[in-house]
Amino acid sequence: MASEEQARRDVDPITLSTVWHGMQSIAREMRHVVDRTAQNYLLAVLHDMAAGIWDAQARTIAVPEGPTSMFLSQHFAVEAILEKFGDDLHPGDIIITNDPFKGHCNHLPDWGFIRPVFYEDELVFVLLTRGHQLDTGGSFPGGYFANGYDIHAEGLIIPPIKIYDRGVERTDVLELIWNNVRFPEGVKIDNYALMAGLTVGEKRIHSLLDKYGKQVVLDCVEEMLDRMEANVRATITEIPDGTYFGESATDDDGTTLDEQVWVRCEATIAGDEMTLDFTQSDDQRTGFVNCVLASTYSRAVAGSFLFFDPEYSPFHNAGSMRPITLVAPEGSVCNAQYPATVGGSPVNVGTQVLEATVAALSQAVPEKAVAAWGRRRGHYIAALDPRNGQRYTQTTTDADGGAGAVWGFDGFEGAMGMSGLGSIQRGSVEEIEIRYPWRTERYHFTPDLSGAGRWRGGSGMVWEVRNLGGDARIATGSSDGDLTQPAGAAGGDPGPLSKMYIRRGDEIETVRTHRMIEVKTGEVLGKVSGGGGGVGEPFERDPQAVQKDVVDGYVTIEAAERLYGVAIDEATITIDEARTKRLRGID
Amino acid sequence: MFRVAVDVGGTFTDCLVLEESTGELRQFKAPTTPSDPSVGLMNALKKAATAYELMVEGFVSQIGLLIHGTTLATNTLIKKDGAKTGMVTTRYFADVIEIRRGYKNVRTSMYNVFVPPYEPLVPRRRRLEVTERSTYEGEIVTALNEEDVRRAAEQLRADSVESVAICFLHSYAAPENERRTQEIIREILPDVHVATSHDILPVWREWERFSTTVVSAYVGPVVEQYLEALERRLHENDFGGTLLMMLSDGLVETVDRCRQRAVYLIGSGPAAAPAAAIYAGETAGHRNVLSFDMGGTSLDIGVIMDAEIPTTTENWAGDERVGIKMVDIHSAGAGGGSIAWIDSLGLLRVGPQSAGSDPGPACYGNGGTSPTTTDADVLLGYVDPDYFLGGEIKLDRSEAAEAVRTGVAEPLGMTETEGAQAILTAVSSFMADQISEVFTSRGLDVRDIAIVAGGGAGPVHAAFVAERLSVPTVIVPSVAATFSAFGMFAMDIGRNYARSYIASAEAADVGRIADLFQQMEDEAATGLQAMGAQAGEVGFARTVAMRYIGQFSEVEVSFPSGEVNNESLSEAVANFHRRHEELYTFQMPWKGTELLTFYLKATVQKARFELREAEEGDSEASAAQKSTRECVFESVAVATPVYDGSLLRAGNRLEGPAIVEETTTTIVVPPAFICEVDRQHGYVLTSQTAIASADA
Repeated sequence: MASEEQARRDVDPITLSTVWHGMQSIAREMRHVVDRTAQNYLLAVLHDMAAGIWDAQARTIAVPEGPTSMFLSQHFAVEAILEKFGDDLHPGDIIITNDPFKGHCNHLPDWGFIRPVFYEDELVFVLLTRGHQLDTGGSFPGGYFANGYDIHAEGLIIPPIKIYDRGVERTDVLELIWNNVRFPEGVKIDNYALMAGLTVGEKRIHSLLDKYGKQVVLDCVEEMLDRMEANVRATITEIPDGTYFGESATDDDGTTLDEQVWVRCEATIAGDEMTLDFTQSDDQRTGFVNCVLASTYSRAVAGSFLFFDPEYSPFHNAGSMRPITLVAPEGSVCNAQYPATVGGSPVNVGTQVLEATVAALSQAVPEKAVAAWGRRRGHYIAALDPRNGQRYTQTTTDADGGAGAVWGFDGFEGAMGMSGLGSIQRGSVEEIEIRYPWRTERYHFTPDLSGAGRWRGGSGMVWEVRNLGGDARIATGSSDGDLTQPAGAAGGDPGPLSKMYIRRGDEIETVRTHRMIEVKTGEVLGKVSGGGGGVGEPFERDPQAVQKDVVDGYVTIEAAERLYGVAIDEATITIDEARTKRLRGID
Repeated sequence: MFRVAVDVGGTFTDCLVLEESTGELRQFKAPTTPSDPSVGLMNALKKAATAYELMVEGFVSQIGLLIHGTTLATNTLIKKDGAKTGMVTTRYFADVIEIRRGYKNVRTSMYNVFVPPYEPLVPRRRRLEVTERSTYEGEIVTALNEEDVRRAAEQLRADSVESVAICFLHSYAAPENERRTQEIIREILPDVHVATSHDILPVWREWERFSTTVVSAYVGPVVEQYLEALERRLHENDFGGTLLMMLSDGLVETVDRCRQRAVYLIGSGPAAAPAAAIYAGETAGHRNVLSFDMGGTSLDIGVIMDAEIPTTTENWAGDERVGIKMVDIHSAGAGGGSIAWIDSLGLLRVGPQSAGSDPGPACYGNGGTSPTTTDADVLLGYVDPDYFLGGEIKLDRSEAAEAVRTGVAEPLGMTETEGAQAILTAVSSFMADQISEVFTSRGLDVRDIAIVAGGGAGPVHAAFVAERLSVPTVIVPSVAATFSAFGMFAMDIGRNYARSYIASAEAADVGRIADLFQQMEDEAATGLQAMGAQAGEVGFARTVAMRYIGQFSEVEVSFPSGEVNNESLSEAVANFHRRHEELYTFQMPWKGTELLTFYLKATVQKARFELREAEEGDSEASAAQKSTRECVFESVAVATPVYDGSLLRAGNRLEGPAIVEETTTTIVVPPAFICEVDRQHGYVLTSQTAIASADA
């Protein structure tokens, strides 16, 4: 059957290649427009957004770079919209949604803008841009507020509705939305930025269809999906059949304090199929860490992508996902049901889904082992800027530790946030000082804050900022890792624990993740963040690499000896070969 | 007198000589000598001297102006063989250049985690911290601890560093601490190269500024040594003219100034191509052109609207972020040496791997076995194996056939010719795709331009790419083979200046903006006089980078000349709204705007030169036809006339399919095109289908 269809398709390889790359470049351009025009730190600096293309059957055609949570599962959203609107979709429509239950979003701040693309009166593609908004209403500005009573406490919930109907803006609907968020003027800019991405995408898709004709493009799409599927199946076949296990925990759920929440993944490889089963994970929680199924799906699939051939990692589409089955029972923390709170899930539990998947698959393929990255150490500030008398909200990822190691390479220094896999950027110290009343006083690596291994994790950080503005209320919901660690792999150590404090003169108060804290004018907020996990046995690390780390201040002499079994002479900072052999038990 | 441009590339040193009295241009090529490129440069000048029947001293002494571009700085950076560099920086911020705002996958997918971690040019052990701190308003809140600086200098001396980058937070607003540090470092380490961030790139955002400064320090000593050797050699050969270096921003500069700001030589060379494209375009009546410079390993694309050289501050050079304003060249891995391969998805791809010049394409017969673009060109009949570079290099058709057969045709179940055609189609569509992305990301329609083709492989391939893009016109200048060198002739002499002043447009202090422009204009007038310009000759172009309040990215728009007042500021704001819509499909006039960085481009009207006109002929070109050979177009073999370019006359008209052979380049005119010889002996290829649709 399949081969018959394939024969009928008869797509020449050059057109296929052109259409394939064309689709990817369209998705990149859509993202570029949003990147360049957005006014919100999360979109424009951190790139907490993405853009992509689906077809009329809600199959994923092109997903460019972007946080894993944003996109790999958005066929759920496209499906829901196609089902809801049926024949009532028209050229020029734009649909908005941020609803985790009806629109399959991670959490309320991530607003999706969806445009059906028609050609010759037929719906052919669906474009989606999505990004984290400056505000969505709710108890606290920005997002990641722990301890909401239910999803309604977390903000405005927008089911899939039209905000453009056949090219005409539904201004009254937009006004209702903007009236329910803080900083409406800023949110408005970002909404237009995300819609501009759709405009550009549609224009480019139309010219692709004009050039090659609809049938040729659609045939190419089938071929793109089939080829990725075949490739992924071939890779899975190379993984030994069996069941492998990985688990990971977040500090707590923000409501029941200090009780860790566990995600457990059983990865079963059978021939060319992979099942990722999260049944053993904890039940849905009262607190804000719950993932909806779409959120779990995207993290789990992203985790598995790391184990496929890097050569075709830019090309993933719905075909790559066909051989993967996800299991997560309703009512689990990995498949939360209404009215569960979900505000913290992209960082807490979402990251753990990715970590547990990667841990399980690292068992299956140790020569491709991947350690977890330093935990996210963000927060959301709400306060007054005395320079202009206005309220502001600010978030940051600058304090995050580095990447986890992989088999063959140390963790990438400075890269942060495993859920972004390096697609999220840090801020600029100078930009932040211009924009917000805070001064950065420390921003540097610090020794012994990475997971040891034959390949060590990226370094942890020390980060301190002083409040030069009004007393600030701060939600630490986008932080994790005070009580739980990112795992190492294949014998590597986990990334170290992190901590957070407020300094008032000589007094230091330790503060915690998933809480509300207050940093008054003149006080310092400080973070010491653990880096990534290591891969491979630390005692197998090349002593030269350990010595270099000592010289460069990533590892102390004491830790070189204790963790790596490498003795460094204190006077000359060179390797004491004889003592190293003894420490490592080599005759 | 002669005017000479020399472009030292990776493989060849291109030399273009203009005899000012006759307007005659001649092209020379000599192999590049990587260990000391000034040797290769002198060899090229010797070749030229011989051609003019002069002793080398005699020739060199008659050079009035020598403009020089070099990939030395770029190569030093890419090959990582720059100076042992140290860094002195604000306490607790030594890791800015390694954290690098979290960038991990600069050129690979985020789903590829198996990438080696970035290694900064200055390892952590040599990034030394001193106590000091300023604010964005230019206030020094913590005084510089000079003892710290001395200690750092001593430590760098003990470590025998050759170069030092001084990088402090907010130094664009408060340069004093960097200046004082530089004085102390120079006192203690008098022989060491020093680069300061407020001098190299006085604009905000610390990582971009620090990284650029570190790159400058890293390549600085190599550049300094080279410039010294070059000046000495020229001097020994009685050079008495002006030597100017071609910079990455598309302007030329004195050698003295380049010594201390070596980063401005990153990209020198290829950055000259757009100037050549502008010249060739204007000759043919086109002000909107695409500079299409296709060499052995890459295609360099530059988009030129209204004859303006495009610039950008968003560059990466290798693994390093370089934030200076540079000519906006998009480089794609498609050249004559690019290797064709079948990827794991069963798709035919060409590049980015290149066979380079060693072993080179299979047809070079130097042991290369991978099929390349050039191999396909040989099999399709476009390139005559016996007339490559005028016969200087003999190509082996059978090696090309073998490589295409085993590497492409057999795996895809094709004949040899179909395999070659598939390579040509793949490389053409890849180039077309890249060009289209570059255009749309700027909000432009590619069909509104003409392609100007240069480089060794450009004139063979440009028309095929134009066809895919529905671009009606391809211009091949007579100097296509030494495209960048020609661009150096056509470039302006001048300098770019930048100053950051961050304020909302509504509340900005107009007097302060006037002062900033005045400072830059004064500095420019003094600087350009050092290059021999008269005060009155210097022209200024002002721009300002702006954004809507709250945005994070800026858009550079023009700022009116003349008195700076509220009206001129409003005009700049209006320019911004309009440009925002052009680029991103919307504008927000209801929203306030913010001023960030002011730029001044100061230029001296380029010295005029007249190229010799080609001999006039009529439309009949048959006298120049030297043979007929079989070429393949769209998989069909066609008997194709081959013309000797040197015999063609201005006004001659060829109908495609046709091949024009010159000693340094081959021009392919596909069936749908006609080709006319212009008065400077360039070729203008026009798509007949495009003409037909325009007539309709």
